[in-house]
Amino acid sequence: MPTTKVARSAKFIETGFRIGGNYVKHFSKKLFNPDLTRDELNEDNAEDIYNSLSELKGSALKIAQMLSMDKNVLPKAYVSRFTQSQYNAPPLSGPLIIKTFTKSFGKSPEKIFDTFNLNSIRAASIGQVHVATLNGKKLAIKIQYPGVADSISSDLKLVKPFAFRLLGMSEKELNIYIKEVEERLLEETDYELEVRRSIEFSKACSKLKDVVFPVYYPELSSAKIITMDWVEGFHLKEFLETNPSQKLKNKIGQALWDFYNFQQHELKAVHADPHPGNFLITPDEKLAVIDFGCIKELPENFYQPFFSLVVPGVMNDKSKTIKAFRELDMIHADDNEKQIEFYYKSYKEMISLFALPYRSKTFDFSKPEFFENLYAWGDKIAKMPEFKQPRGVKHFIYVNRTNFGLYTLLNELNATVKTDTFQPQLK
Amino acid sequence: MTSPEQIKKHYIDYVLTNGEAPKSVYNFAKSLKISESDFYKIYSSFSMIEKKVWEDLTLQTLVKIKEQEVWAQYSSREKMLSFFYSYIELLKTQRSFIIYTLKNHPKRLTTPDVLSDVKPLFENFAEDIINEGIDSGELTERKFISKRYKDALWIQFAFIINFWIDDDSPAFEKTDEAIERGINVSFDFFKKSPLDNLFEYGKFLSRNSKFKERMGI
Repeated sequence: MPTTKVARSAKFIETGFRIGGNYVKHFSKKLFNPDLTRDELNEDNAEDIYNSLSELKGSALKIAQMLSMDKNVLPKAYVSRFTQSQYNAPPLSGPLIIKTFTKSFGKSPEKIFDTFNLNSIRAASIGQVHVATLNGKKLAIKIQYPGVADSISSDLKLVKPFAFRLLGMSEKELNIYIKEVEERLLEETDYELEVRRSIEFSKACSKLKDVVFPVYYPELSSAKIITMDWVEGFHLKEFLETNPSQKLKNKIGQALWDFYNFQQHELKAVHADPHPGNFLITPDEKLAVIDFGCIKELPENFYQPFFSLVVPGVMNDKSKTIKAFRELDMIHADDNEKQIEFYYKSYKEMISLFALPYRSKTFDFSKPEFFENLYAWGDKIAKMPEFKQPRGVKHFIYVNRTNFGLYTLLNELNATVKTDTFQPQLK
Repeated sequence: MTSPEQIKKHYIDYVLTNGEAPKSVYNFAKSLKISESDFYKIYSSFSMIEKKVWEDLTLQTLVKIKEQEVWAQYSSREKMLSFFYSYIELLKTQRSFIIYTLKNHPKRLTTPDVLSDVKPLFENFAEDIINEGIDSGELTERKFISKRYKDALWIQFAFIINFWIDDDSPAFEKTDEAIERGINVSFDFFKKSPLDNLFEYGKFLSRNSKFKERMGI
């Protein structure tokens, strides 16, 4: 696993060469066989990109993954593997943990807690989790790896030229998206912000049925440390291995749906990391949300046009739909008649697919057709030269990630949920 | 009567306020309202005070880390890490003066004179820890080479101090990373590695007569 910057740079360079090689292969074959399509080339490239990306860890992978997800450059099998990406770092040594505590609180952990286990129980995305007890309460302590913020910035610099080639975008076009990703990733490294948001969001979501949150302890948290209640429960995969009843799966699915849609439509800000590792299913059959590192705020100028397309009505009116597409930058001001027609059709198809769960009172996420259609649409546009240039405002990156992530979780649960619990609030 | 501690404190204050050492011991003693001979009873020169500052900080660190409850549970690797984390933490309290004492020393691999008393202290500590590690099986003993482990750690010492002096990251976060990675790399070399096995295997093969014959040796 290449972990140093140099090793990772080498990885990128290698991929660059190999993609170059594939082009050479493609054009030399084309000399003898003019009918050869670019399909094989795309396959070769996807394969190499995937091979090299799967060796990359950390934020470089996360960024590449997010950019490619939006562009659907990578086939679905790859995308699903990438969603497991995590920041890869060796576990922190005992002395460094103690040093981190002394820096933050002037005291070592054994002086702060009744017990503190120096061996971490598991890795978190950019840190590791320890178990402690205080006044008879079991606590989870998340400690951040040193230098993470720095490594994110340098990884971004690494990924840029690679992304330009991989996605065929110009630097100017891509920068706006990269900046969005960088902002979110850097926010994730701010543990003080995470504690503030966790408290805010768990308070705002406290009325939701079947959704629970750990208690956070700001006085025992710092820029590098988060202290919260330990939550007992199963991760999604373990939960499914216990053969839960359909009724229970629906209940957990409903909790997930409500959690996300309450945030999107009532708070206009959403937990944008629907990674299975961020949830637990508790013994009393509730959904526990244990990580608020990534929050995406939905500004009105995005929320209104986007969700007006999701609810029935606007999409039946072509001129209103095109107006919304223009507001979302999916149709550009300098597009000609033909282009407008083309993008109108393509995006209408996408949004109709995306909005399908909203169009009925309940939706069965176990249906494979729904996902097959989504992926097929993705594969189709990936091959279209018209989609070589990025379109859509930057907010799509995280909003798509959130909602497709949610759909995927619900699909894994095979859940049927009531989708009319929290409706878009349109003006 | 002025104590060594008071003279030391006054000297540090003088240097940091004026950005240079006092012009003469006479001058300095006068500002302390003591006689020159009183000064010489305690220190032979200004540079001796500087050495003493380093020595004190090092000794303090060694005492402090061994007082920790977890100390006994630590592996050799963790003990060395713990030393550096605590050392940097303590040096931080005197950062300006520390930088001043090293500023005049050209950055070569030689040990700065001001660290001449620190080096044996650190090496003794390192040797103890390495021997502990060898006894427990954490580290591997290698003929001739294991005697040099402590030298490798002294080079790390110099590297980490220099890194910290140039570190401008918030709360010297990058120095923490440099310690964590650097010490881990050193200790990875000290523990048993595939190379040791390869070496042993080679020795075995060379002792094996049939192999020798076949190789025509």
